[in-house]
Amino acid sequence: MGYRVGIDIGGTFTDFALLKGDEVILHKNLSTPEDRSVGVMTGLKKLAEKEGLALADFLAQCDAIVHGTTVADNTLIEMNGALTGLITTEGFRDEIEYRRGYKENIWDVRLDPPKEITPRRRRLTVPERILADGSVYKPLDEAAVREACRKLVKQKVESVAISLLFSFVNPAHEKRVAEIVAEEMPGAPISLSHQVLPRAPEYDRTSTTVVNAYVAPRVNHYLERLVERLHKAGYQKRLMVMQASGGVMTREYIEGAPIRVLASGPAGGVIGSAHVGAAKGHPNLLCVDMGGTSYDMSVVLDGAAPAEAGWNMHHRYLIGVPMVQVETLGAGGGSICRVHNGALQVGPASAGSEPGPICYGRGGVQPTITDALLVLGILEADTDFAGGSFSLTRKGVDAAFAKIGAEMGYGAEDAAFDCWRMVNANMSQAVRRTVASKGLDPKDMVMLAYGGNGPVFAAIQAEDLGIAKVLVPKASPTFSALGTLVADPAIDEERFYLSPADKVDGERLKGLWQDLEARAGRYFTDAQFANDQIKARYQLKMRYPGQNWTLAFDVRVNQSLGDLSFVDAGIGVRAVELFNERHMAEFGHVRDDEMPEITGLRLVTSVQTPSPQVSAGTSAPRAAAKAARSRRANLGRGYADTPVFRGSDLRAGSEVAGPAIIEETFTTIVVYPGWTACVDDAGDYELVRT
Amino acid sequence: MSFELNRRLAARREPLPTSATVDPVTASIIRGAMETVCFEAATHLGRAASSPIINSSNERNASIIDAHGRLAAVAIGTPHLTFVSQLTVRYGLEMFKDFDWGPGDVFLGNDPDYGGGHLPDYNVYAPVFDDSGELILIQALQAHQGDTGGKDPGGFTLEATDIFTEGLAIPCVKLLHRGEKRLDVIRMIERNNRFATFRGDLAAMISAVQLAVRRLQDVIRKWGADTVKATINAEIEQSEKRLREEVSRWKDGTYEADVWIDHDTQGTKDIKVHAACTIRGDQLTVDLTGTDDRPNLVGVWNTYGNTRSYIMVQVAAAIDPGIVKNEGLFNAVDMIVPEGCIAHPPPNKPAALGSFHPACEITEAVCIALSQVVPERATPQVYKIGMPNAVIGFDAKGQMWMDQGVDARSMDSSAVQGIDGWGSSCVGLGNLLLSEAEDLESRFPIINLSREMTTDTGGAGQWRGQPGSRNVKKVLAPTMAMAWMVSSRHPLRGLCGGEDAGGYENHFEVGTPNERRIELSALAQLPAEAVIAYQHGGGGGFGPALLRDPEAVKDDVLDEKVSLQAARDKYGVVLTGSLDDYDLAVDVAATAALREQMGSAKAA
Repeated sequence: MGYRVGIDIGGTFTDFALLKGDEVILHKNLSTPEDRSVGVMTGLKKLAEKEGLALADFLAQCDAIVHGTTVADNTLIEMNGALTGLITTEGFRDEIEYRRGYKENIWDVRLDPPKEITPRRRRLTVPERILADGSVYKPLDEAAVREACRKLVKQKVESVAISLLFSFVNPAHEKRVAEIVAEEMPGAPISLSHQVLPRAPEYDRTSTTVVNAYVAPRVNHYLERLVERLHKAGYQKRLMVMQASGGVMTREYIEGAPIRVLASGPAGGVIGSAHVGAAKGHPNLLCVDMGGTSYDMSVVLDGAAPAEAGWNMHHRYLIGVPMVQVETLGAGGGSICRVHNGALQVGPASAGSEPGPICYGRGGVQPTITDALLVLGILEADTDFAGGSFSLTRKGVDAAFAKIGAEMGYGAEDAAFDCWRMVNANMSQAVRRTVASKGLDPKDMVMLAYGGNGPVFAAIQAEDLGIAKVLVPKASPTFSALGTLVADPAIDEERFYLSPADKVDGERLKGLWQDLEARAGRYFTDAQFANDQIKARYQLKMRYPGQNWTLAFDVRVNQSLGDLSFVDAGIGVRAVELFNERHMAEFGHVRDDEMPEITGLRLVTSVQTPSPQVSAGTSAPRAAAKAARSRRANLGRGYADTPVFRGSDLRAGSEVAGPAIIEETFTTIVVYPGWTACVDDAGDYELVRT
Repeated sequence: MSFELNRRLAARREPLPTSATVDPVTASIIRGAMETVCFEAATHLGRAASSPIINSSNERNASIIDAHGRLAAVAIGTPHLTFVSQLTVRYGLEMFKDFDWGPGDVFLGNDPDYGGGHLPDYNVYAPVFDDSGELILIQALQAHQGDTGGKDPGGFTLEATDIFTEGLAIPCVKLLHRGEKRLDVIRMIERNNRFATFRGDLAAMISAVQLAVRRLQDVIRKWGADTVKATINAEIEQSEKRLREEVSRWKDGTYEADVWIDHDTQGTKDIKVHAACTIRGDQLTVDLTGTDDRPNLVGVWNTYGNTRSYIMVQVAAAIDPGIVKNEGLFNAVDMIVPEGCIAHPPPNKPAALGSFHPACEITEAVCIALSQVVPERATPQVYKIGMPNAVIGFDAKGQMWMDQGVDARSMDSSAVQGIDGWGSSCVGLGNLLLSEAEDLESRFPIINLSREMTTDTGGAGQWRGQPGSRNVKKVLAPTMAMAWMVSSRHPLRGLCGGEDAGGYENHFEVGTPNERRIELSALAQLPAEAVIAYQHGGGGGFGPALLRDPEAVKDDVLDEKVSLQAARDKYGVVLTGSLDDYDLAVDVAATAALREQMGSAKAA
């Protein structure tokens, strides 16, 4: 029985989850921003030590190392990717700058434009044109391609994106342009739009391809270096990398589409949530992750976190590849509280970790949510914080809230309380927006909370949203690393195909799915998985004529690749039935007199790999736990002496009735009045409204 | 349907009666909940609708109106639509007893003479009662429909001299009574629309509004009707106060501007919009007296509801963007719009094209006037395009199709102090999503040949307007095409010393013996393979061009937004090296000399 290691690199910490049989061992050490693979190796050494092994022996016994990286996100945040050029169809030079007209704040005339990856001088066009049916309307002008290359070389372009109209229907021109670029600009990485995102429309595809070209060299370089270090140190298997779709895949696959790791960090947490929720009998979850700067929300339905490819704006660029839908609000422990023109505001600006909240004592002067928690007595000064790395100080905190209170016309404690209410309300509204587009009511869901601050607010938010049950996993502070271990190797790709559902060409459908099967099969074989291990979900994307949003749904789920016998004469009729069912569920009406159209097909392939076991329920008898001490705290109903429990004192079956505070190593769980917390066999907390 | 009705509908409304009070934090929490409901309703509609103008261009708007007809909370939609919807609802409220309002009812209105914008903007709204049966709120959802059943597909008739030419006018009709669909009414409305997909779109509007009503009922139950009422009162009061605070920081005085429209749809030239913005302490008055009122003008009549909205769009652009948009803004601004002028037409005037012009010239005039007091937030929230080129044909089944021409492009994106014009259009249109070639060509027999920006069409200035674009398309089958051209002789104006943008120009049947420039308007039958080319105007410049950083001019030349010639002639920048070799450099000494020479020439 080999080891499996999940690694998640965050801004401050690199988290590890080691799976050894049924046992999970967690570890955390500081990230090393200059070369993040150093921090990874440090942590692996630590894990080897814990197992009493030399690093080489430990790595030799690893079946899988699974890795979540933020290197693509950081490249976009810092805007330090490759010098990128774009070659596109004559007449369409400016789509990427138009952004289909989109601007983020329709009321702010002083909104800055996004930083350009490809300013106009590096967007070059070539005469050529393919039509919607794939026919060549104007042949490719190869001399113009060479001329474009000359211009890109003169501008010292390092990475080239190629995005031609309707290349996803007929990629011949794009492929030929790539050949010429390879000749004229040897060594320059090339991103082809029909490979990166084979679907309409052109802005979505071009934007995704340009970002891919921009992050590709850094992502690939980083992964190469990590693989090299791992191999030198004794690891013999493939490095698996987390994708934003919620699946992992080999480094070799990622190399061809590095864009797929963008926004993969939060996806790990969601996948972990789905796993834990399913094990505990809760297939529908609202997952909330509150850290220092942001509050990430996502939804798990029927035990799965659906990856959607739509209008995913990341760092002001549209990324069209499938992503687990995670919405982010600028609300975290570091969110700054202030009065602006008579109105109390919390966030989205954050004090970050440096200087951080006032109570970190590192020079922060603006009051934050963490400071408010200190005033409310939910956190405590002068004791271990964040696993004992430091302690909080009350110095300057009360004065800061007194200043807010003076503007609002009350005292410091009321000010801190209103900041707490405000951030709570912001988060509740954000949750409603997140579930709104899915037609869900949070009332029907179970909340799963993680991240350093998630469990502080979870139950009060649940109450606000009508949710009756909250899960807080013991591993919540390293939840994303655990998630990478849970995530299965997966490839999720689509092909464009437009046809009215009653005129579907079965042979064409088959052919396209076969293409996708061949691609998936190749990478899975390379990763040493057998065909009969591959679960294949064949999906169609459909809409009524004129609709702009498609609904994707399974038409068939197989336990291996290669059986397309379901694509028979009845496929069109079945597709319409399935689509109408989905449309009714989503929008509450069906258009009987309209024939829906197929806009594309998708193949989601995955292989199940061993995941940490999660036990459910509590076999031990329930018993009220004993508080370690008490302190004055305001849990929403005014200040009162409130019992405080130590997480390490609690056992399976331990019950804590609210109002109470439970202190865990890396987080604090607040049991609000009217709620009861219970520890289950896995050591996870279940909070229930009583 | 009279000036008297307009006066009544626009009159200031009293706060909701309640003895409850609410603290500011609770109020903002409840407002957030209402905004979220609007977001949900608009999102629902955008995803389910078939009309590209709703689902792709996002031309839909959700807002919450209170029981007095005041704009209580808004969420999503362009600013231009945001400030219109309450007047239609106010008319409906006048008929509260006569039309037997009750829980579960859903209404529809689109009549320009009963508070509406133009006919295509269907406003579907529904009352929200509390558990005791008191009307508290109305959820409104407004969206631009593909057709309105008038003479011409799409609802825009160039020569229309009355509203009846343009389509079916609905002051207020009940679509659902106590939760039950009135099929007789719905079928009649569906019948007055050329598009089969309208049925689904209407169904989607109804289901979106019903969803919102359920959510609002939850909000009322959770907080109590009195607290919700107190919240709305407090929020409206706060917005009025905040706007007045901003105005009180502006310099007292009267600031005026004239803006001209090239012509009406029949060729009467130089239509004038005049705005005078007067600031006295914390009171802003916008007075359109002096605006054209020739009764024989055709097509350029903007409804009163729209005029109020298009004034407010620019006022809202001039203030802190964080101020909450609600009735408080209207309470803080006095608007004088003479009855009978093109910004306040007599009953039965056509209304469709007026939402383009003079609507946008009203906004532009307010912008130019206010640029003298708030230059740092002065940039016109307009679209100077006459109207997009609509291309209409019939498919093999005889079903009509229409490419509404809301294509990806660059137009009218002006600079603002410190920031060049960017993207595709002004920020106020930033949640429209423009049509893409690959979507349109999969549906319609057309080919988009080009839509690139054109060099030197952005207004020169210390901060440059974004160039306009030339959108060229070819029709593959015989089709009808409709155009209305303005902003050619009177393009978008530059501000504070910045130069005007390049103007609009439109050519049909390009490259054939029939090639012609559309000077005024056209309703043409195009043969297969005909090419139409629409040059869109750019954005205006801000501040004197001679003050622009020469390095920025060099970058503009490298990006082919500005030509070498214009760098020299407009900006006084002398560059060495070659564009082809990407080694351009600013000749600092020669630039200084040229700028001095140009500066003194200008002074003389």
